[in-house]
Amino acid sequence: MKKIQQYIRPLIALSLLVPAVLSCKKTFLEKPPTDSVVDANFYQSDEQVLAATDLLYSKVWFDYNDKASYNLGDFRSGTTYSAYNDRGNVLFNTTDLTPENEAAWRSFFIVVGQSNLAINNINKYATANVTPAIKKMAIAEARFMRALAYRYLTMNWGEVPIIENNLELLNDTTLKKNTVKSIWRFITREMRAVAADLPETAIQAGRLSKWSAEGMLARFYLTRAGVEATGGVRNQSFLDSARYFAERVINNSGKSLLKTYGELFKWSYDNKPESLFELQWVFLAGGPGYGVGNSAPSYLNYSSEISVEGWGGDKGATYWMLGNYEGFTPSGDTMLVGRTLDQRLRETYMLPGTLYPEITQTVNNVNQKLVFPYNNQDVNFASVKKYVVGKSADLGIPVEAQRYPNNTYMLRLAEMYLIIAEAILGNSASTSDAAALAAYNKIRMRAGLPERTDPLTLDVILKERFLEFAMESSAWYDLVSLHYWNPTKAYAFLNSQDRGYFKVIPDVMPNPTQWTIKKTPWATTDRKINANSGNFLLPIPAKEKSQAPNLAQPAVEYP
Amino acid sequence: MRYFRLTRVTAVLFLAVFLASSAAYAQNRAITGIITDQTGKPLQDATVSVKGTNTATSTDVNGFFRLSVSPGANRLVVSYVGAKPKEILIGSQETVSTALEITDTKLADVVVIGYGKARRANLTSAQTTVSSKDIERTVNTTIEQAIQGRAAGVYITQNSGQPGGGISVLIRGISSINGNTEPLYVIDGVQMQGGGTTSSSNTLAGINTADIDNIELLQGPSATAIYGSRATNGVVLITTKRGKAGESRLNYGFQYNLQAPPKHLDVMNLPQYAQIVKEYHALAGGTTPTEFLDPSLLGPGTDWQDELFRYAGMQKHQLSMSGGTTATTYYMSGEYLKQDGIALGSGFNRYGFRVNLDNKPREWASIGVNLNFNQTDEKLTTSSEGIISDALQITPQVPVKNLNGEWGGGDIINGANQFAPVNPVAIATLRTNKNKRRQFQGGLNVNLTPIKGLLLRASFNTDINYQNQLFFNPTYHIGWAINPSATLDNFIGQGSYWNFNQLAQYDKVIGKHNFSVMVSHESQESNWRNLRGRRSGFLTNNVFDINAGAAPGTNEGGSGEWGMESYLGRINYNYDNRYIVTGNFRRDGSSNFGSENKWGNFPSLSAAWRASQESFFNIPEISELKFRFEIGLTGSQGGGGIYSPLRADPTDLGTGFLPTRYGNPELQWEETKTTNFGFNIGFLKNRISLEADYYIKNTSNLLMDKPLPWYMGTSGIGAVGNPVTNIGELQTKGWGITINTVNVDNKKLRWETSLNLSAFKTNIEKFYSDAAFVDRISWWMDNWTQRSAVGEAPWLFRGYIADGLFQSLEDIANSPVRVDNNGARLPANATTGVWVGDIKYKDINGDNKIDFRDETNIGNPWPKLFGGLTNSFSYKGFDLSILVTGTFGQDIYNHIRKVNSKTSTIYTSRNLLVDALDYARITMKNGSPVLENPNTNVPRFTNSQVGNDNNYNTTSTMWVEDGSFVRVKNISLSYNVPNSLIGKQKIVKSIRATIGAQNLLTFTDYKGFDPEVGSYVGANSNSGNQAIGLDYGRYPLTPVYNFTLNVNF
Repeated sequence: MKKIQQYIRPLIALSLLVPAVLSCKKTFLEKPPTDSVVDANFYQSDEQVLAATDLLYSKVWFDYNDKASYNLGDFRSGTTYSAYNDRGNVLFNTTDLTPENEAAWRSFFIVVGQSNLAINNINKYATANVTPAIKKMAIAEARFMRALAYRYLTMNWGEVPIIENNLELLNDTTLKKNTVKSIWRFITREMRAVAADLPETAIQAGRLSKWSAEGMLARFYLTRAGVEATGGVRNQSFLDSARYFAERVINNSGKSLLKTYGELFKWSYDNKPESLFELQWVFLAGGPGYGVGNSAPSYLNYSSEISVEGWGGDKGATYWMLGNYEGFTPSGDTMLVGRTLDQRLRETYMLPGTLYPEITQTVNNVNQKLVFPYNNQDVNFASVKKYVVGKSADLGIPVEAQRYPNNTYMLRLAEMYLIIAEAILGNSASTSDAAALAAYNKIRMRAGLPERTDPLTLDVILKERFLEFAMESSAWYDLVSLHYWNPTKAYAFLNSQDRGYFKVIPDVMPNPTQWTIKKTPWATTDRKINANSGNFLLPIPAKEKSQAPNLAQPAVEYP
Repeated sequence: MRYFRLTRVTAVLFLAVFLASSAAYAQNRAITGIITDQTGKPLQDATVSVKGTNTATSTDVNGFFRLSVSPGANRLVVSYVGAKPKEILIGSQETVSTALEITDTKLADVVVIGYGKARRANLTSAQTTVSSKDIERTVNTTIEQAIQGRAAGVYITQNSGQPGGGISVLIRGISSINGNTEPLYVIDGVQMQGGGTTSSSNTLAGINTADIDNIELLQGPSATAIYGSRATNGVVLITTKRGKAGESRLNYGFQYNLQAPPKHLDVMNLPQYAQIVKEYHALAGGTTPTEFLDPSLLGPGTDWQDELFRYAGMQKHQLSMSGGTTATTYYMSGEYLKQDGIALGSGFNRYGFRVNLDNKPREWASIGVNLNFNQTDEKLTTSSEGIISDALQITPQVPVKNLNGEWGGGDIINGANQFAPVNPVAIATLRTNKNKRRQFQGGLNVNLTPIKGLLLRASFNTDINYQNQLFFNPTYHIGWAINPSATLDNFIGQGSYWNFNQLAQYDKVIGKHNFSVMVSHESQESNWRNLRGRRSGFLTNNVFDINAGAAPGTNEGGSGEWGMESYLGRINYNYDNRYIVTGNFRRDGSSNFGSENKWGNFPSLSAAWRASQESFFNIPEISELKFRFEIGLTGSQGGGGIYSPLRADPTDLGTGFLPTRYGNPELQWEETKTTNFGFNIGFLKNRISLEADYYIKNTSNLLMDKPLPWYMGTSGIGAVGNPVTNIGELQTKGWGITINTVNVDNKKLRWETSLNLSAFKTNIEKFYSDAAFVDRISWWMDNWTQRSAVGEAPWLFRGYIADGLFQSLEDIANSPVRVDNNGARLPANATTGVWVGDIKYKDINGDNKIDFRDETNIGNPWPKLFGGLTNSFSYKGFDLSILVTGTFGQDIYNHIRKVNSKTSTIYTSRNLLVDALDYARITMKNGSPVLENPNTNVPRFTNSQVGNDNNYNTTSTMWVEDGSFVRVKNISLSYNVPNSLIGKQKIVKSIRATIGAQNLLTFTDYKGFDPEVGSYVGANSNSGNQAIGLDYGRYPLTPVYNFTLNVNF
């Protein structure tokens, strides 16, 4: 008996050690993420490949769209201003420390990086289950986004590095900038390839089609005609290409201008027939909604009277911009007086007394249709209307601050008409070409203005572009296009603008019949800017120069 | 006989077996005896040997020994840890009993080490103990607070003074530049990686400090390497109290604390604010409100700091019971702690209970169980809503409440425009941010001693936690700020962890040779899962449930897993308690690495020589002398990064997926090779003892989120996150000294002093790519940047050197300024360039322009020296303890002062520091602008934010301050009510009452609330980018006055 007992203890004890001998299964140490797919097991079907490019239509552009879009596109170009904020951009003094400079730089390179990863991952991981046409289209979508991002990059900063594969650069600190001409060559080449790969009919409303790419080509060629200008004369074959692609898009895309300008921005306007490419925002509440919704309206809404949150109380049209609307005539040097037939004013900026039945205004807890209020102080504002769509009740869905569902236009058919007019005008001082006038009048008359029969000049076409696309972050790029071949004219244009404080006075409230727009007498400084070759383009953000000293090296040609 | 003891139980079992088998020696004569200390208390484990031979034995629990000696033996040597060895002439005696004089009780202590226990005297590695006695002296709501100032080599800063707030613990400097430099915590076998959290709350806040028996801070590589791949940042072993056989003890403890509000930061009162508004309008145009025209008529306005901060109470009730029989012992406790915060919108409650049970059903088997359940309730509104910085910025013209009882805010009546901060008192009151955590920690261990000297143990420990956070933003109307729709965000997280360990240890004594061998296998796994739901459109402000909101709302999930398998072992050998050698080895396999790099090996070796035990050692003044050397490898396994996960988000086109991080399948362990030299020396019977260590830590394969340039698409919404890479190497050299003295020790008074001092210096040795540095940019805070560059300490502040203000146009013309894209100087212009009264920056590279090349290192967040000094006095029934801590040489970037000195923010109705009233005033002299107050260092007023605003916003030395401080951390005076007073009744056995104060005095030149600035835990920070040494409205530590009562029944 004792003998047995002698063995029992060691045996029991040994049993404790059994797990040690067995040890764990090999898979015990394989723990891939349980809350997300990883790249290596995605891109396995058509749906997954398409899902890989969906967010290239929204989230990757978020930081650009947020505040940089209108700061660079409209404040710098002088159509719109902010009286107390963003003054560096308003006064054309965007430095390498300006926040919107950084945000835009970061965002465009996010577009580039995510597009590159999509291309890389689809090529690497897509299985035979993926339809070749879908694979081709998805890669073309990513290349489209990348080319468009480079268009913004080179137009804002000039020389920037072209990156086609981020994965190769994870340990690289030698990447160099590329020259402006070679960037334009690269993105035109890319866009031509994209146009060949995208379907004639978008497989889904809002997705890119061949015509989106050809529309971009029209835009690119018009600008590139200036990039490749010699002695101030734009490259004729590129002008011809611009017209060629613009006409192809008008004739073949099946797209059409909306009947009235107002329809373009009245909720819900997403993916209407005039649209060639727009950022696809959705409303989603809370944390996850930040980044997938449109945040810009929060900064443009003039007050929380008409929205969840309104930070745009000091933003509005510049004095110069209001003077562009036909009907407002100067009275002396300090005043504009009148009214306009141009419907685009109502849809772009709000003047006191204007009724907006589509927007609900809450005053002292009472809801009413918005009548833009008259604020009788030294300075008041023609607040921004474009992309301002109201509050939940107006949209019919819940919305929260910085999470609006309305899309952002990136390219619409209207631009094709104005490209045609400008391409035909080309290097001449003016033109009476019927096709040019017809294209021009198509846009002008839709806005409610009478037909123009006088010859077209560059100034007339540019002005039309500003009126049509104000607050669509476009005017700045028109000036950069001009600057490529005629910098003096671009500087003169900017330096002539008035960007100072003023006040808009309705003749009666409500239902005014005309307005007086009066410069604020004591606000004598900061009315004019000084654009020159030293401040025209944006400097690369200081932080980026500091963390990537390689960008200080001279730019090289991109093959 | 000396050997490593694993558990008390093992020792008992071992001795039982030993006694039964020791009759084997027959040929020699047997000598028996009893060894005691000077008071007659039997000494267990005293070594009795025959002089000049290897024949030795050790005493049992009763101090009894039996030794078989050869006929020729004539002298025995009796030695005991902490006592001077004693020689005894045996002659022909069969019984030899003697008393040893114990000079140092500490050396005799058994201390917990990784996977075992050891006698302090035989430690070969650097490790520090914080006992329950030390813990009881200070007011600690959470564990780490108890360690602060107590141990050399351990640098602790509180990230937030918020009740239950998080803490940064750095053991022996910076061993890694990745987000997590926090040690591994092992609580009764449950391994928890500290830190990694960027919220203001603390993952260890659930543990009741009164339950802690002791805390061991493992610092040396030999001590830590047994934890291998997770030990690079040091290991904190926490052991909770267990019962002792004997009469049961019932203890009730009560504590009440009164926490004082912080000292005021001098912001403007209403007349001062009115004055500056008036001056602003005079300069910038616009109309000054009528009531501001004559500031002298105004009252003081709202003092927002008075409104936000308050005296706050904390109370704690603790009940514990312990005791048991020889077969079963128990410790049970329950706790209730309620702490209000000194700032509105903060607070911390904790409830918990613990049962630790040990049972020995057979002589050769024992089972131990520990169970702990705790719940913490935190109010996080203050920190999550930036309440403190808002309170410093809101204008004094806004009342807390309007006359009609509504919350005051910026509106037509109160003035202040829509850009003013929203009433922080209202926000702190209205918004709810409650975080409830529940944690269950428990374990079971089975110990068997099948044969003499062999211990087999299996233990299973688990940690299960649950978190429920409610964030409710009600509808409100506070001046301009209107929230028309209430929202509720409800986050639920759950996690579990288990660890299964099998261990075998064999101890053997052959003469004076003591061997101990341990081998073990361990597997552990954890997983977590989150669910977050959110709805808005609540029609009431008091039902905090998703169901009360409007459908559908949104939701989010998340989950993850981690696993690790390890083989480990240790060999310990000591000869006669003089020469001690320990070797450790651990092999870890972690799920954080790809198949090629899963397994890592972590060896260590250490040796110690107790010179004072040598027979030739004959310096009577030196009672203890020990030299230690250790070398070892530890690791860090980071938080994964081999995969490139995709995140799903909705678009108009359907759900899209984007990669959120560049994957790095080649990722490897971070490895730290540490060499440690140390010695312990005791003088005058250890009345004075000194422990010193010097170490060199070389870390290679540094794990880090590699910050790529922005052109890699790595920063912003929709960005591809930086890849985790093995980025480079760094070296930390440091030292730590602890001196303990007994200054006075007589029957009436005992006065002890303990001083610890430490310093470390970390240097980045190299980066594996050709990059020269990596930057961490807080882009949400004027791009505040910290840089790690080769040849420098990690995370130095990066910026310009401010060189006063421009005094005149001539001064501008003669100074370098920023340039445009063509390299042309920006004009001297009040709105688009720099102007008189703007900050002048130093041209570091001498190229006559100011640009990024002039950025340099402008601050170092690491201290040059830190330490703690404890003095304890015992006099009759009184105990007085004073702890003073000091930290010297670290810099703080005072972002609050920067923001609150920026005069142009007046246009957004923001208040400023009083100092800003002395802004640079420009006056015309001979037709050109000069400064009226040339000695000021507050930049001029600007009416817009153009170049000069960037000039102001630039990070510079102007806001860098020396954060050195000396703090009277703790004073406590206790009184043990003498038996003469309570002896007559039978119920109460002892009463102890304590009064004390914490953070009573702080001596510093720092201008903010509190110089103890840890890691930034505010909005936007993440573990890969957590600013160190940056103060932006951090919740300050303030004086706490406390009263404690302990009653034993």
